[in-house]
Amino acid sequence: MATAHSLDPLNPRVLEPTPSTVGAVLVIGGGIGGVQAALDLADSGYKVYLVEQSSAIGGVMAMLDKTFPTNDCSMCILSPKLVAAGRHRNIELMTLTDVLGVEGEPGHMTARLRNRARYVDLAECTGCGDCLQKCPVKLPNEFEGGLSQRKAIYRLYAQAVPNAPMIDRDNCLKLTKDKCGACAKNCRVGAIDYSQQDEEIEVRVGSVVVAAGSKIAPTRLRSEYGHGRYPNVVTSLQFERILSASGPYLGHIKRPADGKEPKKVAWLQCVGSRDESIEKGYCSAMCCMYAVKEAVIAKEHTPRIEPTVFYMDMRSYGKDFDRYVERAEERYGVRLVRARVPEVREDPETHDLIMRYATEDGMHAELFDMVVLSCGLVPPQQLVELSRRLEMDLDRFGFAAGNLWDPTGSSRPGFSVAGSFHAPMAIPETVTEASGAAASAGGMLAEARGTMAAELEPAAETDVRGEPPRVGAFICHCGVNIGGVVDVPAVVEYARTQPFVAHAEENLYSCSGDTQQKIKDTIRQHRLNRVMVASCSPRTHEPLFQATLAEAGLNPHLFAMANIRDQCSWVHAAEKGKATEKAKELVRGAIARVVRQAPLPRVKLSVTKSALVVGGGIAGMSAALSIADQGFEVSLVERESELGGNARQIWRSAEGEDIQARLTEMVGRVSSHPRIDVHTGATIEKIDGFVGNYRTKVKAEAERQTSTPDLQIEHGVVVVATGAEYRTPTEYCYGGSERIITQRELEELIAHRSDAAKEAESVVMIQCVGSRESERPWCSRVCCTEAVKNAVALKELDPNLDVFVLYRDIRTYGLREEYYRRARELGVVFIRYASAASPGASDPDSTPEVKIEDGKPVVTVRDKVIDREIRFRPGLLVLSSGIVPRPDASELAKMLKVPLNADGFFLEAHMKLRPVDFATEGVFMAGLAQFPKFIDESVAQARAAAGRAATVLSREFLESEVTVAHVDPQRCAACRMCETLCAYHAIEVRVVDENSGQEAAVVNEALCKGCGACAANCRCSAIDVRGVTNEGIFREIAALLT
Amino acid sequence: MLASQPDLELIQQIEALSGQRASECYQCGSCTAGCPVGEMMDPPPSRGMRLLQLGRAQELVESTGIWLCASCVVCATRCPRGVDYGRVAEACRAARLRAKYSRVDPDTIAVDETEEIPQQAFVAGFRKFSG
Repeated sequence: MATAHSLDPLNPRVLEPTPSTVGAVLVIGGGIGGVQAALDLADSGYKVYLVEQSSAIGGVMAMLDKTFPTNDCSMCILSPKLVAAGRHRNIELMTLTDVLGVEGEPGHMTARLRNRARYVDLAECTGCGDCLQKCPVKLPNEFEGGLSQRKAIYRLYAQAVPNAPMIDRDNCLKLTKDKCGACAKNCRVGAIDYSQQDEEIEVRVGSVVVAAGSKIAPTRLRSEYGHGRYPNVVTSLQFERILSASGPYLGHIKRPADGKEPKKVAWLQCVGSRDESIEKGYCSAMCCMYAVKEAVIAKEHTPRIEPTVFYMDMRSYGKDFDRYVERAEERYGVRLVRARVPEVREDPETHDLIMRYATEDGMHAELFDMVVLSCGLVPPQQLVELSRRLEMDLDRFGFAAGNLWDPTGSSRPGFSVAGSFHAPMAIPETVTEASGAAASAGGMLAEARGTMAAELEPAAETDVRGEPPRVGAFICHCGVNIGGVVDVPAVVEYARTQPFVAHAEENLYSCSGDTQQKIKDTIRQHRLNRVMVASCSPRTHEPLFQATLAEAGLNPHLFAMANIRDQCSWVHAAEKGKATEKAKELVRGAIARVVRQAPLPRVKLSVTKSALVVGGGIAGMSAALSIADQGFEVSLVERESELGGNARQIWRSAEGEDIQARLTEMVGRVSSHPRIDVHTGATIEKIDGFVGNYRTKVKAEAERQTSTPDLQIEHGVVVVATGAEYRTPTEYCYGGSERIITQRELEELIAHRSDAAKEAESVVMIQCVGSRESERPWCSRVCCTEAVKNAVALKELDPNLDVFVLYRDIRTYGLREEYYRRARELGVVFIRYASAASPGASDPDSTPEVKIEDGKPVVTVRDKVIDREIRFRPGLLVLSSGIVPRPDASELAKMLKVPLNADGFFLEAHMKLRPVDFATEGVFMAGLAQFPKFIDESVAQARAAAGRAATVLSREFLESEVTVAHVDPQRCAACRMCETLCAYHAIEVRVVDENSGQEAAVVNEALCKGCGACAANCRCSAIDVRGVTNEGIFREIAALLT
Repeated sequence: MLASQPDLELIQQIEALSGQRASECYQCGSCTAGCPVGEMMDPPPSRGMRLLQLGRAQELVESTGIWLCASCVVCATRCPRGVDYGRVAEACRAARLRAKYSRVDPDTIAVDETEEIPQQAFVAGFRKFSG
């Protein structure tokens, strides 16, 4: 299944520095994968050409309404990255651009690009939208899935980056027939240029990242579902647009046929995936989750909706996914039916839809108001052609499938892949692979780092001290999110009446790239020295606006936000008048606050250019190798006396590879790498410091016996790769018979004592042992594939062996579906059981029972299809035990001041868009410590952590957060209450005057997060938080109460 | 081993005749839901495949369901695994017929009936319904 690689993945070429090594990378694809890779590369000192074939970046993620499992608004978490990519000094954004070919060797390649004419001058266009008003042409809007129309001149979507429209040359009347020209006449800045031509350009790059994405399955592959004939049958992407507040129905869920609100909505899973007859036998890895999410969001929006999801296996294998699905069933009443629906019929008068389906208890026919097809991913022809032009191999499905040890590698040296171009996957895996691909693509050019990147020049700041405040108030519509509830023009008028307001205006989307430009221009034009934006939560866009202020020469702390969306329009949608009044009050309060804000100086932190990697398993070693190959020193600390971690007990991968041989090679490479210092038999005793400046004390186990001093390591970043444990089962009489073993023990048996395996005659495997139950509600992700792998190995040893797998859902997701197919081909029999141990279980419990008779296991289970009890007396009973977090994870978590999630795995900063970062800067994670995963996923994540670490290590200095607490020692009584309260250990009472011995609290500004707990508690009012002062808060309260 | 002895030879015969592998089916129910006579078929296609998988071949071969199959091929068209239940049903019917069991037991026909039934009917009946 994997393509041949001419590059040895364990020894990726680190190029000899030559004058011709180009410090630039070509990133193909402007979706979340391409954007993430571009940002990571640009932040680690490389020039990036980000090429996107459509008129704006954002990709599929820009079309989604909300994302699982956090239910975040997709555009809200995406747009800061899009705007950052659009304005990054090291990223050259090239939209409407195709890649014709790339010639040359890694390190010095020439990419030939074709830039298609937009017919709009990007430098002149202000994104005002006047040109769109007059165009007479109407066409189906592809972004909206054809559910609404667009003009011949159009923006891809409202928040597009770049925000300029493009002209559809095939349908524009001027360009095809030399008639009309209305858009140019309407444009007040002369930005329309019908004479633009396509251009071919060449750029020099050192390496390439291909994150070109994929497309959803064309529904004509299964025309029996009626998409395209029955208007109320829509695809999942169309449904996302229906859900979206900026979509064709403004966020109201309606049926396309008649605009009525649907009641019964059905989701049909596996459309175009897991389907051998149309040669799409793989699983698309994300549809189970997105369908349940769409059902939950639909239900949240319109409580009368009754969602039903028709599925075969529920593949909620990720972190918090099973919890999400259970909550969907219990709290939201999403009905889950295990049956594949083979066709949809329509009542031609009502446009209602009729479906028949067969469950274990018989045949059913049901009427639905609307049907959503959960389409999988199918590589489109244009990407197959792109791969041909790039001379890259694809697998038989059209994916650029990597290999186990180099998941982001491809068949062409110097080319990395990420995201669904590589294999079907969801957003967290895409972002991880993108950061990993950036690490590989940048790492191979390490010697040329910084040669083509622009320096970060802090903008010259205007000194506003002593000036009377001049506030600019920007009130956002956020499309209809705010504007549909709050009377924004009235709030603007009101803002104008407030003291010190020099300028007030409304914006459609304050966060969009062109509005940032407008804000900058307005600051200069009106000599503003304070900015107040009334829009969403500061958690979404505060850093974005602050960066805009910095670019305009204002200190970023002369800024305040009023949340008139999450705290106003979203919760008071039914009371528009009162919501408007509240918005006015919030604006009044924020203006009162911002007037009191003072500029805060930046603080520079030095960076120790080395990393500490905790854990020497596959993840730790991969991270160490990647960081070292990028040119930085690494200290690798491993608790055991040998490197290798859990992989030491794995013999063969599902792909059939010899794991131990590869592991030995990897250990060899790590041990002999000139930039990696390995400390085995060592544990971390104490970690002090903060990003860029860590000091760690390492205790070597052996050294404990002697008087050798402990080791002190200075480093700039930490990568947590401490792994997880394989659980020893307590269920199913494990330990009561030598014929009851775990999958891990079976694997050892097959590898080293295959005769004993053959003697068994029959083998029964039980899945989900100790996973997906109330005590451990997570899925251990790898066990279905492991069981199927071992079942195939057993059958290959002896085809006459009877092998049975007792499962709840088979979760061989993505391209691993192939192994499941192989197992069935070889005659392995699968029997489903249901477990009441899982909260929200939808069908009656049929957990298998195990007894021991005469030292041998007897397994009884009820087959639900023929409704009969089956008793097995297998020669071997194999338990697929789960993966559990290490009990000592909490110790390390405390030392690093990082959190664990409810299950005990390390908690990342954001599950979708920051999957390897901790919220604490400078600390990253990889491997099983984050959550159970496969070897290739661990390697990808480890490389991603290395890539992210490089964005810190490649800098000469970092700027620290300045909204920190400070203490007035004259007022401080040294009562130590603040010390007790601080969650970050950022404040401690010390002697501050040697002469008098006076003690007072002192803040460690690098650790302080500015939470304000100490300031709020201090009875002496000795503590205040810069930027969020007590006075500012009191003034805001006073203004609100006026 | 399943507790009740699967009829291995019968399963092998059915798989050879039909060219379908019993273990391929993962019980999604598409075939049953699409089958025009699915509601009347006992067992319906997906349950028929399950019987075969769990070694209950004799039960399937003796069922009435397999005789309702019209070979319309809807099940095969819809199946995501590429299984053709129509062929399996055909194979079961063939296995049943080849099993050479008699449906007509001469001892159950009354003596006076034998005088009324034409000679031709006897010959045709024994030829059709036995051996």
